[in-house]
Amino acid sequence: MANKLLDVQKLKSGYGKLEVLRGVSMHVDPGEIVVIIGPNGAGKSTLVKSIFALNDIYSGSINYKHKNVTKLPTHERIEMGIGYVPQGRQVFPTLTVRENLEMGGYLTNEKDLLKKRMEEVFKHFPILQERLNQLGGTLSGGQQQMLAIGRSLMQDPQLLLLDEPSLGLSPKAMKEVFQKVLDIRKEGCSFLIVEQNAKQAVKLADRIYVLEEGKVGLHGDKKILKNPKIKKIYLGGHGHD
Amino acid sequence: MSVAVQLIMNGLIIGSIYALVATGFSLIYNVTKFVHFAHGSVVAFAAYIFYLLIKLGLGLPLSILLTIIISSIFGAAIDWAVYRQLRKRKASAAVLLIASIGLMILLNSAILAVAGADVKSIPINNPVFDVMGARITQLQVIIIAMVFVLLVGLYFFMKHTKLGKAMRATADNNAVAQTVGINPQRMYTYVFMIGSALAGVAGILVGLEQNLFPEMGTSMIIKGFTGAVIGGMSSVPGSVAGSLFVGLVENIGIWWLPSGYKDAIAFGLLFIFLLFRPKGLFGGKA
Repeated sequence: MANKLLDVQKLKSGYGKLEVLRGVSMHVDPGEIVVIIGPNGAGKSTLVKSIFALNDIYSGSINYKHKNVTKLPTHERIEMGIGYVPQGRQVFPTLTVRENLEMGGYLTNEKDLLKKRMEEVFKHFPILQERLNQLGGTLSGGQQQMLAIGRSLMQDPQLLLLDEPSLGLSPKAMKEVFQKVLDIRKEGCSFLIVEQNAKQAVKLADRIYVLEEGKVGLHGDKKILKNPKIKKIYLGGHGHD
Repeated sequence: MSVAVQLIMNGLIIGSIYALVATGFSLIYNVTKFVHFAHGSVVAFAAYIFYLLIKLGLGLPLSILLTIIISSIFGAAIDWAVYRQLRKRKASAAVLLIASIGLMILLNSAILAVAGADVKSIPINNPVFDVMGARITQLQVIIIAMVFVLLVGLYFFMKHTKLGKAMRATADNNAVAQTVGINPQRMYTYVFMIGSALAGVAGILVGLEQNLFPEMGTSMIIKGFTGAVIGGMSSVPGSVAGSLFVGLVENIGIWWLPSGYKDAIAFGLLFIFLLFRPKGLFGGKA
């Protein structure tokens, strides 16, 4: 436990005056795949956005590699090795696949290093190499999601935050994306994945947090879906005890 | 025949100045997603600065250089002092549009107050050539060449440099640009600097080719905006083609109409396009 990659303590955050997270504590160990599930509006996306400095943090702390990063801006967190893939297959539609990947490495100035990383992205996603000069907006949904993940790999992250990677994908594309997650993990990258699709995501996970109204409602391993409390959370019952 | 050639030439020459205005305008629009109507007043500001520098006796090359630099900084300062403050308060694009119209009126009035209402002109030595029966001045040849070089340069900048790509990425998806470490605010500053530098060049050229008057900025933005709309707003090559089209139509139009109707012709074009083809000739998507 002493070797946490990411350690979030009593985090309260949201957007302007709208407080969404009301004291969340969680962590990710090196090499782990941690999945966050929970009903709509529980604050899952808000949590990963806070870890990436994309919204307002009111109190609590975020430690990454034993450094307090709570007040650091996004670009500094990227440089420290946190990557983020936003919800909904977000690519730069009028940029080519190659330019999309180049933008993923925006903060890196060494051309050789970027070239090497692009080769590594192609190893995981050969389809991107085939479509190199095609515009991002013309790819299929699954390919766009792979481009979005590939783009985040260009900074060589040690922690990758995925916000609903299966959203809007066909079951086949979703399987493919989840398989890539397992492949990339083998190279030492940890994952924090937010998922609406609980059943599929839990299969991947080493540990699971269930968020409920801005707090951690449940925490455990794969058996968590059998916990009777989870039904209450998903069906909107106010199951506080 | 020679009248037709003359009108077409005149149209292309003034159209290429409009193209500079339209390109800067649509560049700013695409990256920041709001309509910067005061862009035309930056053109007027540049023309008056250029006039002042020439009057001070700085000579042509230095005056040109300084005018471009001053316009560029002026554009970035406008963004910082006005638009950025409104964005911080989460102002909508409509609020920014109204602010930009207010700013245009303010700048026009400031020019009127400082420089006076009289029409000014910048005297230069300007030999005339004969091309296919039309009269073309040396300045007009320089205008076409300069606009061409600038627009080609801009194209390569946007297509092949890291900064150009980052601007296009911001234009494409501001939120995602942030997730790769691009600072959108910084891109806004850069795009205002580049767009306003182009406006500076347009101001110099129009100041040399025509006369200076306080309301010239309004006229320039009507032409530039119409050119950009005809070209589909999101496409820079489209804006160029649209502007040349505006220049041609207003010059060919004065074959039948008095020359005082030039602005009315541009407005008419704008109206027709907004009504029947709001996405422009080249704009694929809204």
